[in-house]
Order: sequence, then structure tokens, then C-alpha cells
Amino acid sequence: MGIDGLIFLDNTGRPIIQSGFRASPSAYPLLHIDAYNNAAAKAARPGDVDPVLYVQAYNISDGPSACCHIACGDMRLLCPISGDVDPLFAFAFLQAFIDILNEYFGNISAATLKDNFDTVYQLLEETLDSSGQPLTTSPNALRDIVLLPSLMSKLLSAAAANFTSTINAGSGPAAGTFSSQIPWRKANLRYASNEVYVDVHEELRAIVNKHGTALSSNVWGKLEANTKLSGYPDCTLTFSNSHVLTDCVFHPCVRLQKWNRDRILSFVPPDGRFTLMEYRYSPAASASSSAAARLTATTPAVTTGATSSSLAITKDTVPVPIAAKISVEFEENTASFDITLTSRLTSRAIEHVVAELHLGEGATGIKCVASRGTGGSSAFSRGIGAMDVPGVPGSSGASWVFDSKRMVLRWEIPSMQSSSSWNIQGSFTSATSKRPRPSHALQIRFEIATHTFSALKVDQLKILNEQYKLFKGVRGRSLGDIEWRW
Amino acid sequence: MSGGQYLNAITENATRLGQRIQESFSEHTRDLAINRGSGSAYLDTVDDGGKALRTQLDSNSDREKLDALKRLVAMISKGRNVSEYFAQVVKNVASPNLEIRKLVYIYLLRYAEQEPDLALLSINTFQRDLADSNPLIRAMALRVLSGIKVPMIGSIVVLAIKKCAADLSPYVRKTASLAIPKCYKLDPSHQPALIGVITTLLADRSPVSIGSAVIAFEGVCPTRLDLLHQHYRRLCRTLIELDEWGQVSLAHILLRYARTMLPRPIVKDGNEEVESDVKLLLTSVQALFQSRNPAVILSATRVIYYAGTPSYLPSVVQPLLRLLIISREVERVALTYIAIIAKSSPSVFAPYYSRFLMRTDDGLQVKLAKMRLLLSLITTDAHQVILREMIDYADDTNEQVASTAIHGIGTCATSVPESTPQCLTALIDMIKGSNDIVVSNAVVVLKNLIQMQLISSVQAHIGTDAHRPIAIIARLAQRIDDINHAQARACVLWLVGQYAAASENSPSLNGVALWAPDVLRKATKGFAQETPLVKLQIITLAAKLTVLDPLDKVLGLLSGYVLSLARYDLNYDVRDRARMVTALLAGVAPAMSVDGDPEERGGVVLRREQVRMVLFDGKSSLVVENQDTPQEEPMLATLSAITEKPMNADSILPDWLEHGVESSLRDSTEETASVPAPLFFSSTQTQSRSKTSSTPIILSPRTSSPPGATSSSGPKATWTDLDTFYADSKSEDEDEDEDEEEEDDDSEEEESEDEEESEGDEDESPEGTAPEGSGDIQQDGSRSLPEPTR
Repeated sequence: MGIDGLIFLDNTGRPIIQSGFRASPSAYPLLHIDAYNNAAAKAARPGDVDPVLYVQAYNISDGPSACCHIACGDMRLLCPISGDVDPLFAFAFLQAFIDILNEYFGNISAATLKDNFDTVYQLLEETLDSSGQPLTTSPNALRDIVLLPSLMSKLLSAAAANFTSTINAGSGPAAGTFSSQIPWRKANLRYASNEVYVDVHEELRAIVNKHGTALSSNVWGKLEANTKLSGYPDCTLTFSNSHVLTDCVFHPCVRLQKWNRDRILSFVPPDGRFTLMEYRYSPAASASSSAAARLTATTPAVTTGATSSSLAITKDTVPVPIAAKISVEFEENTASFDITLTSRLTSRAIEHVVAELHLGEGATGIKCVASRGTGGSSAFSRGIGAMDVPGVPGSSGASWVFDSKRMVLRWEIPSMQSSSSWNIQGSFTSATSKRPRPSHALQIRFEIATHTFSALKVDQLKILNEQYKLFKGVRGRSLGDIEWRW
Repeated sequence: MSGGQYLNAITENATRLGQRIQESFSEHTRDLAINRGSGSAYLDTVDDGGKALRTQLDSNSDREKLDALKRLVAMISKGRNVSEYFAQVVKNVASPNLEIRKLVYIYLLRYAEQEPDLALLSINTFQRDLADSNPLIRAMALRVLSGIKVPMIGSIVVLAIKKCAADLSPYVRKTASLAIPKCYKLDPSHQPALIGVITTLLADRSPVSIGSAVIAFEGVCPTRLDLLHQHYRRLCRTLIELDEWGQVSLAHILLRYARTMLPRPIVKDGNEEVESDVKLLLTSVQALFQSRNPAVILSATRVIYYAGTPSYLPSVVQPLLRLLIISREVERVALTYIAIIAKSSPSVFAPYYSRFLMRTDDGLQVKLAKMRLLLSLITTDAHQVILREMIDYADDTNEQVASTAIHGIGTCATSVPESTPQCLTALIDMIKGSNDIVVSNAVVVLKNLIQMQLISSVQAHIGTDAHRPIAIIARLAQRIDDINHAQARACVLWLVGQYAAASENSPSLNGVALWAPDVLRKATKGFAQETPLVKLQIITLAAKLTVLDPLDKVLGLLSGYVLSLARYDLNYDVRDRARMVTALLAGVAPAMSVDGDPEERGGVVLRREQVRMVLFDGKSSLVVENQDTPQEEPMLATLSAITEKPMNADSILPDWLEHGVESSLRDSTEETASVPAPLFFSSTQTQSRSKTSSTPIILSPRTSSPPGATSSSGPKATWTDLDTFYADSKSEDEDEDEDEEEEDDDSEEEESEDEEESEGDEDESPEGTAPEGSGDIQQDGSRSLPEPTR
């Protein structure tokens, strides 16, 4: 009943580590591993495996169950569930477990797991109770229950075996969690230098149709904080333009009433890294609120809300910083394409631009030429209007590669200067005699450093009830994920 | 000894000590260096190290024991059976080293049920550990105790649970709650004792442990919702403070309670009447929408969907839309739930259709779900965009997606008739294309559309001439050679046959449209290579054309040829139909009888008009193959909604009671703390209340919100911490006992009063958090007079 356990599979489908599965018959985990492997083998593309797989009942007395799975590093994490439980519950738990592993081990891979299997097993035991319910998933609390394997503790255990018993007795750090008033923060923390760093990460997701109009474009943002503070700091974070934030969700530590009343974040942070808040950037709200301010001041908030909501829906799109021109021609069983990407930003470079085109089944014989068009800042061009020699690798910085496993042509531009344009031309044939069927969209991903679409500004970050010198920093970063149809 | 010698001795000793330390350090760090990467070495331990493991477990050095235990845990995590070392491992359970104890407990948790006798031997140690100073050890001991599946020790476990349920640490109380269902499963006879424990746990103040108390409740006595009466309002209010997983379970139970015990909200002509306790639940649950956990958002949605009125539904939209970007898996599940809600109330989601546009790199299920969702959201305003989307999706590389998209175009046309010309143009364009799947699906959809048009006589002014159904059929007929897919060919042939009867406008020959016989000619050329489905249609076509024009010689020869071919076909159905058609046509075209069959066939010979009726009438009704129309709506947030198969474990959501159980049951001692005021008290109660109303705030009857607001700060100021709060509530305890006895006697009176008072109470603003005691006195005082006259 509920979440029955977790299984880690490596990329060949064999189990690496699994939790106890005490409440189920012993063949239960094997059943789910097989179900997943079969489904993965049958699916045409790796993304086509249903995230919730139906698994038939093992014998008459049991009921059917389902297997929820998620990718994690180079592994798959399976989570069999049974009974009246919502699959979102399982996925939320999987995500929480992966976050815990990230916090303990940094990068997760099959090798890391194998190196630290005992910690992982202890984590499995502690986060999930055998009745199918999550037990302790707050990373701060877990850090005391399942000790982080660190060189220091190993050194201590090697040099003086009895040392650990005194450290770990009831009065030691283990009691810290249990004596703390707040479940997500350890008690008695002390740091030499107190720091708070806030990162604003935003991601633009857009779909653009063949005429160049954005059908949908939304910016979703996260505020990630990394705090190293002593004691019980009560932080207050104010924004100068908090009206651009809508659809906000928060970490459990944030006081919601304060936000709903004054749009001020008031919280006692957990220690270390955590996601403080997630939001959506709404340009319409800022436009309509500024317009309303210019009009009468007496219009009550309710009516402007009502009119702006209809406006908001239509005007809620964020302009897309890259423009693409795609043309594809078909003859017999070959197709030739010509793609041009232009950056619409005027002041910064767009980095790590990756454009992917799925060429369809049976595509072979890819020939491409990637070159750089005109434009861009003079620092990198070889003279105004000069074209780089096509085909010479490294001269233009762009490169392309064909991934034959996924049948995807991947074009990478490490850094796209402002207002520069880049071009790729090529052709491919289809191995079968039919006309090639590439997918009718180009997937473009990019990063823009130190820039946020919403221009969210942190006004101040104060700490009440603690007096110490505080180092703070706020940084922004944006990602983009655009589907451009042709 | 002289100073110099002394110094020498010291330095000598120091160097020797230094060397010793260095040696031991280097020795140990050498091991350390191996230890660093040796986690995997543990994983690869072969089982023949059995003897070595045993000796290690028995050794005196903690390091050896730790080493051995790690190996054992490695083998467990790989799924290997290491229960033979149980005895040795259990001996270490009393070790002073926390690391060792934890690993021992992990081992015991795994194997206690397999070796119950050995586990029983160590029960004393576990019981002693229940009183350990470290809450972690207490919790672990309880987990092991409850994990031993020996029914005999059930009573010991119950005692242990009782002890831990009263523990100071909320973590231990939480473990106790989670142990309760296990104990119950082991031996159901302990249910009364466990219910007692659950009742205590439900009254717990700490938000950390309430979530698991609710889980215990569900596991042991899910039908005893009466236990929740006293706690309902407090639970609603503390819902927001729980941890995320607890919020999910608590919302679940509160919804069940509301449906079972509270009156149904009444929606009449735009006015809504929601009882205050239900409203309390709905407002408490809305605060959950600001949680980052998708399961919490969904459980809040569930409460609002099943317990709320339509005016609450818009608050669900934005949180659900946000779920779509969290991850692919969450998107796939969330889309199904959104589809459930959108089916019953599409207007709620209709303005946000742009969030459901399909991307080419989505997974298959997501694509299908998005298409279905977009189609259910079609309104007259948005149909343009959605139609264009469907046309774009028909280019997808996946067959299933493309065919669903094309059928979607058909759905567009049926639900929004103004879009029919566009749909038709799009479909006709698709037929000109070269992709098999696209063409065949387009043909099927076109057939449905044309049929619809011809049935409903709205064909008068639909677009240009080219869009007139007959023209479309003509065009399809022209392209019969290019259509290879069996089902599509069959469709075209059927259409030609059914509608070949000429109308006034198109040129025809002897009542048959010009293009029709040519189709028959082309079809018969390749008769032998066709699939049975197509062959059947060719025969039918031949029959229909013959009936329309029995005298034409060429037509007769063609039909005869077809029928004789079909007579000797390998497929039974084809032969059968040929025989039937031959018999039917015997009266229409006597020349049809093949091979000069002289035998007089008995039976009725039909005249031409009758045959015509047989062949043509009643066939043009639309047969729509409806893929997925489940009979009843799947329930939100259940597994079967996602897998679309019965999972044998769904909890049924009970239906509303019309009037609900009397809400005075939900009043309790803590009600005097900040409660919005549902006031259903009998006159006897108010007198006892007056003794306890020690609060300094006096509320006059029927006050509007500002005084209510100021009074609300009062109680909050007095109860700033739990101790004073407890102190106050204790003094009211004794009075409450008397009250409850009186309550039962007066229950019937109260109900009639309740209904009357509830109408009066709606006038008052529910914001006022006045303590009920003082408020009541005045109100009942003012109302006691009218009552007897009722």
C-alpha cells in the first residue's frame, strides 16, 4: 500500500540498489523491473515509455500495481506503488529523494552509488517507512540521522575507534535535530562567516509557429538560496518589483500570510542550499499595474484585476530573444534544409545555443555546412562583413553533429553575440525509399548569463533577531527552451 | 638526573611517540585510502567470506564489526540473503557505538520477520532501548519491534506503542503512529487498544506527528470518522503547518469527513449556500496551493473539486497549470487530471488553451493527452487556433499522433460547424499528400464529415462549390488510384456507391453520376489483389450501380465480371456477399445470373425499387467509432485514473448527506480560541458557558466585522504560547463534560434550532473570531423569545 520501495537500475536495466520491500512478496521488485525493461525495449523513442506503467497482479490475492519511474543521472529510479495512491505522490517523493542524494553526494551516477551504498541504503530506510509512507525527507533532519560520509569522520573512526561513541551519544549532534523547534533547521549552528546567496534562475518556454508568432511563451523562475547562517536567523527579503511575480509557490519555511499581505518574503531558512520560491513572470501584470497607476488611483483593485486578467491572457507572452528562419525542401527521397538563427538581444551574448532537429526514422547521409553570417560585436569578427570560411572547424565557433541513436541533428553555437546571425545548410537522405519525414519543429536551447527576463530586483535582505555581519549576493541567470515550427 | 639527561629522555620519548603515532596513522590511512573507494569493494563481496564475517562480527574491535556490518548491508542491498548471520548480528545490538547500532537495526529490520525466534530473544534489549536517551534509538527500537511479525508479541508491541505515543519527541510519536497499522495487520484483535492510542495521537499539538496519526487512523479504523468530530476544526486550521506528506493524507481524510458528516453545499440560480465548516475546509485547503509539492496541490484540488461549489473552481486553474512544467512525468499525470476536470467544466480551462500546445519532443502519452484536452476545450472563440494546431500535428512522425490529430479535425468540424469549410479544405489538402497514414485517416474523417453534411440538410451554403459534398466525393473518386490504405479505399468506394445517384446539378448519365462507373472499372482491374474489406465494398458498389442503371451494357458486363470473380474468392465473406448480391439482383438484371444458371431459385424475387431500398436506405446514418467514453468519470488523484484500468484498491468517495450531522459535535474545548462563529447551542449550554467565559472581550449581537476584527486580536494576545493555552483549556474541561451529556438529550431540539439559526448566521460576517461563549449569551438571549412561537 502506498509507495512500496525504490529500485535503482543502471543503464542496462539491472538493479544496483533497492530498498527492503519487506511488506511485499519477494518477487514483487523483480516484477516491476521486468515491466520497465519490457516497456523500454518496446518503445520507439526513449521518451515514449509511459512514466506510469501498469503492472499486472502477481497472484490472485494481490492487486495490480503500477511502476512510476524517472531518470536520474545515468540510471533509472523505479518506484512501485499500489493501492489508492496518487502517482504524483510517488513522483514528488522520487524528486525529494533525488534532491537528498544530490545534497549528500553532489553528482549522482551509478559509480557514486556503488561507492556509498551503505549511506544510500540508510537513506532509503530512513526516508521511507515500510508501511509505504515517507518518514523523514527534510535534508537538514536527515543529515543528523544518516551521517554524511566525510573524510573527517573516517579519519576519526580510523585513529580512535571509541571517539565516535562519545560524539554520537545523545547529547551530540544527533540530538540537534530532535531538540530544534523548527523541523527544517538544525539547532545550534555556528559559522565563522555568515553568508546568504540568492540565485534567480529563469527559464523561457515558448512555441513559435511557422509565421514567427509566438503561440505561447512563458517564463518560469526559481529563487535558489544558499545560506550559511548561525543560530535562528529570521530573514526578510523584499523586492522592488514584486508585481511581476505570479503563481508563486514557496518552501515550507516561508510565512505565507506575510507574502499574501505585503509581498514580502519572511522566513527562517534551512541550512545550506534550498529552493526558496518558484514563480511565473507575468509581463501583463506589470504593464497593467503601471497603466492603472497612471489612471485614477481610486479604482479598487478588484476591477483592475478583472480587466487585466483578460488582457493578461493575451498579452502574457514574453518576447523571444532568438529568431529563426527555416526552410526545408524535399525531392524524391532527399531533403535539404537551410536554417538561420539570429539573436535579437542588443546588449548581451547568448551562450551555449543548441538547435536540434529530429530527422525521422532511417535518415542517413547527412551533409552540413555551418557558418556564421554578418553582424555581432566587432571583438570577434574578422572585419565588417567578412564571412568565415565555411566548413573549416573552429573558424566560426559553431559545430554540428548527428546523433544516430536519437536520429537528431545537433547544431551548437558556443556564444552568439548580440544581433549576430548564424547559418547551417545541409541535406540528408532517407534510407528507405520513402520521402524523409523530419519532425516539423526545431528545438532551440540557450543560456544567457547574468540576465533575467523579468528583471526581478531584490531590494533588501534583512535578518532580524541576530546581530552579525552578513555577506549577501544576488545573481541572475536565464535559460531558454523554444520550439520553432516550420 | 641532570637537566640535560632529562631533556634527552623527553626528546627521545617524544620522537618515539611521534614515530608511533606516525606509524599508526600511516597504517590506518593506508586502510583509509582503500576505504575511500572501497564501498564498491563491499558490494562485490562474495559469499564465501562467511567464516570471515562471523569472526569479524565476534571480534572486539569496533572497526571490524563496522566492516562486517557494512558487508552485510551491501549484500542486503543487492538482494542477497544473509539471514544466517542473524545470531551474531543480534549480539551487537547493545554496542555503545551509534554507527554499529544503526547498521544492526537496519539488518534486524530486514530479517526480524524471517527469524522470529532469534528476534524474540533480543526483545529485552529492544524494550530497554525504548527508554534510551537518544530519540533516534527509541524510534528504531520501536520500528524493529513492530517489524517482528509474530502475533504472540502483539500485546508487547501495543504497550511499546502506547509508551512511544506519549513520548516527548515528535519524531518518536511519528514512528509510533506509523507502527500502529503494522500492529493491526498482525493481529486485528488489538483494535480497541490501538484506537485508544490513535485518539490520543489525534489530539497531538505538534504538526510533525499529526500527519502520521491520520495515516494510522486510515489504516486501523477508517470508518470511525466520529473520532474526528472534536478535532475537525483544529485539523483544518493546522493543515497548512504540516509537512508535505502529512498534508496529502490529512486533506484526504478531511474530504472524506466533509462528505460524510457535513451538509451538501446548495447551488441555486447562482446563489450558493456553503455551510461554515465546509467553508472552513475550503479556505484552509486553498492555502495549500502555495506549496511546491505537486501531490499537495493535487490533493487540494481534489478537495475543492469534490467538496466545493463551482465558484471555487477557478482557484484550481493556475496551480494545476503550473504542474505542467515541473517535469515530464508530472506533466503526463497532471494532464490526465486536468482532462477530468475539463470534461465536466471546460469553461474553467478554456482561456488557457495555449498552455496545452503540443511540442514535438513530448512523450507519446503527453501528446495524446494534450490533443484530447485541446479538443475538449474548443469553443467558438478559440477554434481557429486549435484547428490550425491539429493540422500541424498531423505532420508528426508518430502514426498514432497523426491519426488522432486528423480525427481531431473532424471533431472540430462537428463541435463548431462554422469551421467546417476550413476543415474540409485541410482534409482535402491532406489527401493530395503522399503520406499513407495521413491520407487514409483524412479519407475516413472526410467520410464522416460528408455523411454528416448529407444527413443534416444544412448543405445549402457551405463554402464554395468545391466543398459541396458531392464534389468532394467526386474528387476522392478521382484519386482512388493513389489511395492505398485498405480502410481508406473501402471508405471511398462506399461513398461513391452510396451517393452515386445523380443530383440535378452534376452531369450524369442515366441517373448515375459520371465518375461513378469509372471507379468501378478501376477497382475491378485490381480486384484480385485487394484486401477482403475492399473486395466487399467493390461488390456492393457494383450492386448499387446496377440497381441505379440496370440497362447499361458496360455496367452490366463489369458487374458480372466482379461477381463471378467474387464467387470463387478464397474468403468466405466475399463469396457470401457475392451470392447474396446475385440473388438480390436476379429480379433487376436477369442477365446477371452467371454461368447461365438454369436452376430456378426459390424465394422472393424483388423488384427494382425494392432492391434499391434494400441497398441504399438506412445506410447513411453515421457510425461513429467512439474510442474512449468511459461510463463514469474516473476519480481525481487515484491510480486507476492514470492507468485507465481497475486497480482494485480505490477508496470510494462517499456522497453528501443532505443535512449533515449536527455541528455541535465538532465544538470542543479548544473552540474558544479563534474560531469563526457557527453558533448552535441550546439554552442549557449557554448558562454553563457563561461560567467559563473568562475572556475580557464582550461581543454585542449582530456586530459587523470591524468590532469582530478588533476582538480577534484579543484571544491571540492571550495565547501566545502553548502553556497558557493549555492552562486555559484545562479549566474548561470539566464544564464541557456536563455539556456533552446535556447535548445528547437536547439533540433533537438543537437540530431545529440549528436550521433556524443557520439562516440567521449567514448575515453575520464569518470573519469575526469572537469567542463563542460571550457572543452566544447575547444572541441566544435575543432569540430565545421567538423560538417557542415557531
